[in-house]
Amino acid sequence: MTQTKKRFTLALTLLIALTMVLSACGGGNNNKNNTAGSDKTNENKGSDNSGKTEEPVELIWYTIGTPQKDVDKVMAEVSKYTAEKIGATIKMTMLDWGDYDQKMKVLTASGTPMDILFSSSWALDYVQNARKGAFLPIDELLTTHGQDIVKTLDPAFLEGSKVDGHNYGIPANKELPAQEVWRFNKNLLDKYKLSLDGVTSLESLEPLLKAIKEKEAKVVPFAMNKDYLPVVPYDYIIQNLPMAISIDSGDYKVINVLETPEMKKALTMMHKYYMAGYISPEASTTTSLDDLQKSGNWFLDRAATQPLADNLWSINYGYPVVSTAASDSIVYNWSVMGSLQAISANSKYPEKAMEFLNLLNTDPVLRNMIDSGIEGVHYKKVGENRMENLPEADNYNMPTFSLGNIMLTYLNEGDPDDKWEQFKTFNAAGKPAPTLGFNFDSSKVTSELAAVQNVKGEFWSALMTGTVNPDEYLPKAIEKFNAAGLDKLIAEAQRQIDEWRAAAK
Amino acid sequence: MNMLGRFFRDIIKNKAMLLMVLPGTIWFFFFSYLPMAGTIISFKEYRYSRDGFLASILESKWVGLDNFKFLFSTNDAYIITRNTVLYNGAFIILGLIFSVGLAIILSEIINKRLSKSYQTAIFMPYFLSWVIVGYFVFSFLSLDKGLLNQILSYVGIDPINWYSESKYWPYILVMINMWKLIGYNSVIYLAAVIGIDKSLYEAAMIDGANKWRQIRHITIPMLIPLMTILTLLAVGRIFYADFGLFYQVPRDSGMLYSVTNVIDTYVYRGLKTSGEIGMSTAAGLYQSVVGFTLVILSNYIVRKFNKDNALF
Repeated sequence: MTQTKKRFTLALTLLIALTMVLSACGGGNNNKNNTAGSDKTNENKGSDNSGKTEEPVELIWYTIGTPQKDVDKVMAEVSKYTAEKIGATIKMTMLDWGDYDQKMKVLTASGTPMDILFSSSWALDYVQNARKGAFLPIDELLTTHGQDIVKTLDPAFLEGSKVDGHNYGIPANKELPAQEVWRFNKNLLDKYKLSLDGVTSLESLEPLLKAIKEKEAKVVPFAMNKDYLPVVPYDYIIQNLPMAISIDSGDYKVINVLETPEMKKALTMMHKYYMAGYISPEASTTTSLDDLQKSGNWFLDRAATQPLADNLWSINYGYPVVSTAASDSIVYNWSVMGSLQAISANSKYPEKAMEFLNLLNTDPVLRNMIDSGIEGVHYKKVGENRMENLPEADNYNMPTFSLGNIMLTYLNEGDPDDKWEQFKTFNAAGKPAPTLGFNFDSSKVTSELAAVQNVKGEFWSALMTGTVNPDEYLPKAIEKFNAAGLDKLIAEAQRQIDEWRAAAK
Repeated sequence: MNMLGRFFRDIIKNKAMLLMVLPGTIWFFFFSYLPMAGTIISFKEYRYSRDGFLASILESKWVGLDNFKFLFSTNDAYIITRNTVLYNGAFIILGLIFSVGLAIILSEIINKRLSKSYQTAIFMPYFLSWVIVGYFVFSFLSLDKGLLNQILSYVGIDPINWYSESKYWPYILVMINMWKLIGYNSVIYLAAVIGIDKSLYEAAMIDGANKWRQIRHITIPMLIPLMTILTLLAVGRIFYADFGLFYQVPRDSGMLYSVTNVIDTYVYRGLKTSGEIGMSTAAGLYQSVVGFTLVILSNYIVRKFNKDNALF
């Protein structure tokens, strides 16, 4: 008895000792953080007064895109420039497209040091992470260190990217509304002399699809992957979940979009096309259309457009592509939040980070260095605001839209002189969606949301691609969605929308 | 003090042994025991704090059992639990029969070189990732280019859209999992078979026992302790489904969910967009607790029958 008791005491002592060691580690950390914090405030005060005389601080920047070989080389050049201008150097880490969301979730949750990070509606969800506390609210910083951004950006960007009344990120100045188009493989259009006159609705595609199906056995007439969603005039509260508000009626009533006549009609049409063989039988499990696009064995698909998109697609695929509008041009929350730079909540130098973002969005020299690399190495200038890639550009091929104001970047070969004017016209033509500026807060309905996501996985792709008969599966899906708690989600969304509207008045 | 002295004397006496288990102990401490403290997150609404990870955990607010609700809130809860337990049950039972059978067959092959090459061939799939296996399967089951549908249309049967017909999938999944995992387990059993004292067989042969009787009365009884241990360990993981098998191989086809949705895929689909760390931790804790209970329970039952075969 005493023996076991003694052993137990020993074990307990060891455990306590261990806890102390561990908590000491933790304590040490805290201290470090605190001192870093106080250092920071001193430093900032200093930098405000004396500016460039101090040692430049290093800003850590996480952004999306396939990692490029020359990032460090270019950042060394960038740092020289920014050290001079704002007293900061830049360390950029790129994470590949498919990894960014997952890796950043872990990095932000575990408090990895960083200053600036890319966020959007489609990778590292901006609204959710803002609410979870990953980003620093920047309302005040914008007025003190980011005045030029406020002057440059279309006000719809800053308004549309507010979360619960605060700004947490700087949207990239780019195309603002979202518009869907039907894209056509022009080779096939020309071959059979098909006309695009009057083609807008899903129904109006039928004669074209029929002609291609009859004459080209190898071609997929209507190419789509499992994320395809018919265009219906509703504004989704959460992307791809069936709660939405009518865009045209202005009644702000949240409904289940699967129960609307428009969706029923669209799905019936999709099923008709599926049965006629216009759609690949494997559409509901297809994740990528790369093969089809490479081989050119497709006739029609749908995509989101931007000014001069046809040129871009044609260059990418190596054969001509033309498009015609499939939906109105509408400014949604998610289109505004297509690309943002946020300042991390644990940033040591938030003011410097904002100064850098201010420069990035207003200074053509810096913006083009980040975008195209070093002049004379990666690109050469061939005009006032025109450039040409040099062979080295393959080692520094950055996604333009994810790195701030795209309207400062130099024009490429083949771009018309009025490219950015066209963007401005396109942006001005967009009509605001009813929920622009409203962001659903799902924290009270997280378990319903998880259940509903599963039901969505079960039915969504099969229904939307026309693979199953909506007469049979639509009622089934609606029933299952409600059983999973969609009605609760809708009620909660309605409550929040009513509150939001009341507050806006 | 006496006690502490004895403690150190014990350490010095066994230093070689202790040194050998040290790397394993360190690994377990950092990757199994230390993270256990993190299960506290499953009772919290995890929010980020400026001061790092530990502060985030401490400052997040308590939410009681709210994070566990989503696992039980719908009638999917029944389907995912049923699928997980039944599939794993089938894997355990069939896996045991086939691996032991295969190990015995391999041990009876006289040509050692042939035996080794069979063993390697059966072992190979174990090293493939599920993503690759998923594409193998796709090349068999694809609607228009798949091997199976080509054969079917050759004999005049209409091609089957495999990825939307749920009735075939329980068999497909069990078959693929067996193909992939049997090799590994059979090697373990084979090692045990080879370790059996040869004089037992010689004695049996002198007594006139044929091959079949030797297997029944010597090989299998000698393997039972190992079978019990491996099965007990497998039972502990009965609530963990192999994510790759149930997500990659059916290509996440919605129409197959009734037979492919398991706890792990359900949690993934439900939380991949919202990324609620609290809820995914809750799911993990739930799986571990059930697994732990089952191991204790089955170990208790094994003890009732035969004390020596039990794990502890």
